[in-house]
Amino acid sequence: MHPALLWTVAGCGLALAATGLTLSLLARTADRLLLAATGVTEAATLVQSAAAGIALAGGHPLHSTATFVGYLIGIAVVLPVALVWAWADRTRWSGAVVAVGGLTVAVMTARLAMMWDGRA
Amino acid sequence: MTAHPPPGTDGAPAGPASPAPTATGPGRLLVALYGLFALAATSRAGVQLGTRLHEAPLAYLLSAFSGVVYVVATVALARRGSGARRVAWAAVSVELAGVLVVGTLSVLLPGDFPRATVWSGYGVGYGCVPLLLPFAGLWWLRRTGRY
Repeated sequence: MHPALLWTVAGCGLALAATGLTLSLLARTADRLLLAATGVTEAATLVQSAAAGIALAGGHPLHSTATFVGYLIGIAVVLPVALVWAWADRTRWSGAVVAVGGLTVAVMTARLAMMWDGRA
Repeated sequence: MTAHPPPGTDGAPAGPASPAPTATGPGRLLVALYGLFALAATSRAGVQLGTRLHEAPLAYLLSAFSGVVYVVATVALARRGSGARRVAWAAVSVELAGVLVVGTLSVLLPGDFPRATVWSGYGVGYGCVPLLLPFAGLWWLRRTGRY
């Protein structure tokens, strides 16, 4: 997995978390800004999962391939689920819900990087 | 996930006799966190039970138990009604007992006791969120149930 891609996804996740939390703190209802930030992060996540899947198919040794593949699928699903859950009840808390998703994407990306390098 | 109150009634009581729904306003965030831990704990336990059950059966069964508790708490908090509220109270109470007991044992008996559960070391591997979550859950159930 390319470090630039990992950093991009982790950075997007953290930026999304910061955006969501800021909206919540300002008592702003979830809006298009949050929607756009979520879309960008999800796109980066999908590229990462696809790239890692292709690299894995090309033959890369891992401690637990099942866990790694589970992470690749899980990380792609987190944000859509978070967004649907946040959007169904649009209050100032919607931003915080999406922020949890963004933070999860960043943490899962770090775990993916560790697994890829054989550190976990 | 079915009928939601219109915007602006964030956490407002539905009536003098019925408790407020638990999955709206800040409860939305709480359910999201519970859902995240339900996913993390059950998938972790799934891998552990599927690949190395013989290594530490107690630890891995505890892992699976914590996963079940989080799933039940998530569903119960996301639903409306007095039945769901009772289940949520029970699940969050078991969760609090679990994180305190497993956390304490894992600190006192690091050699004998499993390190590989969500609750080990009071959930320090997950930013101690597993320790804070049941307190937030009990507080929220109490607050929404007051009406």
